[in-house]
Amino acid sequence: MTTNRSTAKIAIVGAGPSGCFTAQALLKLDPNLELDIIDAQPTPFGLVRYGVAADHQGTKAVARQFSRIFTRQNAHFFGNVQIGTQVSVEDVLQSYDAVVLAAGLSEDRNLGIPGDDCPGIIGSRALTRSLYEHPNAAELPELGSHPVIIGMGNVAVDILRLLSKTPDELHGSDLGQGPTDWLASQEFEQITMLGRSSVASARFSSVMIKELSNLSAIDVRTHYLNNAKDGTAQDRFDAIAHLEAETAGGVPVELRFESRPTAITETAQGLTLEIDTPDGPQSLLASSIITAIGFTSDGRLNREALLSEANDKASPQDRLYTIGWFRDGPVGAIAQCRGEAQILAKRILAELKPDAVRKGSALLVDLPDVIDFKHWEAIDALEVSRAPDNRCRQKLSNMADLLRPTTS
Amino acid sequence: MNISFLFGTETGNAEMLADDLNMAFEEQHDTRVANLQDTTVQDLQTADLNIIVCSSYGDGDLPGSAQAFASVLQKERPDLSGVRFAMFGLGDMEYASTFGHGSMKLATLLVECGAQSIGARVVHDASNDEMVEDMAIPWAENVVGSL
Repeated sequence: MTTNRSTAKIAIVGAGPSGCFTAQALLKLDPNLELDIIDAQPTPFGLVRYGVAADHQGTKAVARQFSRIFTRQNAHFFGNVQIGTQVSVEDVLQSYDAVVLAAGLSEDRNLGIPGDDCPGIIGSRALTRSLYEHPNAAELPELGSHPVIIGMGNVAVDILRLLSKTPDELHGSDLGQGPTDWLASQEFEQITMLGRSSVASARFSSVMIKELSNLSAIDVRTHYLNNAKDGTAQDRFDAIAHLEAETAGGVPVELRFESRPTAITETAQGLTLEIDTPDGPQSLLASSIITAIGFTSDGRLNREALLSEANDKASPQDRLYTIGWFRDGPVGAIAQCRGEAQILAKRILAELKPDAVRKGSALLVDLPDVIDFKHWEAIDALEVSRAPDNRCRQKLSNMADLLRPTTS
Repeated sequence: MNISFLFGTETGNAEMLADDLNMAFEEQHDTRVANLQDTTVQDLQTADLNIIVCSSYGDGDLPGSAQAFASVLQKERPDLSGVRFAMFGLGDMEYASTFGHGSMKLATLLVECGAQSIGARVVHDASNDEMVEDMAIPWAENVVGSL
């Protein structure tokens, strides 16, 4: 069994935090595994590169750990490979002894209210893809003078913070030149962030709110900031109250709790957002609406069917696993991925039945423009070397450059 | 010298640094690496020096793998006289008001229990360019050299 196991082949679909932590834990338990991490993007690390905010470089430091999975633990990276369209999950299962789907959730969830498809409504993922120069990003949108952010999670706070920062406050980030110029050109008269949650049930963490207190351009005021009766959310309430007291910049920022969006209509002045509040229905005028209410599958993988297949441990196809947002939905930060990954790695190794017939990475090597880790290291070095003084990195932003970094 | 490299971590960065420190010292010294969550008071007492790498998490809290260890110190107040430790913190200046508070809280607890702090606690800033091991290895060499 031990000798068999040393040749076992495992594929992980998704090189984001959940996939990388799973690989790290697997190889720590069994350094001889043949472990391949496949990603649809030409670059590894998923949301660490394209989701964690450009001004949260400390959070991105985890990428150094993930690099070692490839440089020291001998995992192999297969970037620019689309599982689900280019290669089927069934083919991956036939080629590997275990397959872990850690593909995340890469699309914006819709509001699900009348008018949620009006022009001028932008999903947070679409916006951050543009801000963080994802190769498949759309052009940066027109936000107008009074954008409204819907959502009360850390993604909503990230967007509020970036929209609020002065150029100086972005020093040391990896925000690119285009997005930097775009931000500097905005002339917001007001920014609103709202959601149905109370301050007690809102998903943001209080440390993210405290961070906003340092911003010079904004002046925060709140609506329906009602403390929980049992005092369980005192730290969050205090953080918001402190934020309201501390900020005194030129741009008003309204935080509206307990305000549930019910409908959006297009008007000559922009968008009208109807909300239900403790005082009854109200209407807000918005020049644009940014939704940050969670993520959903992009449909490349049939998530529901695959989740039920992975859960059906009585089936003969007992080798499919899921983890992270793909499995659990869009909740939880990078740190939680690590604990979940360690649990899953133990389970996989306990259930693993290697079969020498399975061909492993031979499935992938002949695909066009497959990116390996050395290729990523060249991209990484180039991006760091060409960064201007006030940036830690200047990303390559289009697919052609990512596929041929040396010729750019 | 018998050196224990102990780590308190949430995302694994402190563990990685403890591994790096161990690699830098294992040829010259009798070393081991352990997670604080697997570390007992007796373990602290058997090492000539405990070099602790501890991050902060959330709102300046102790990282997950240091919490049970810290709560033993907090509740049982073991006598740690004779225990020597040096504390290396991992922090992020994006969260300036709680920068390095995890390692600070742990160092304070150890001292309150009678342990001797060797050298000054330093905290690496993850939002800074400097590689953490480039700061930590010379720091640890100084600590070890001072004994």
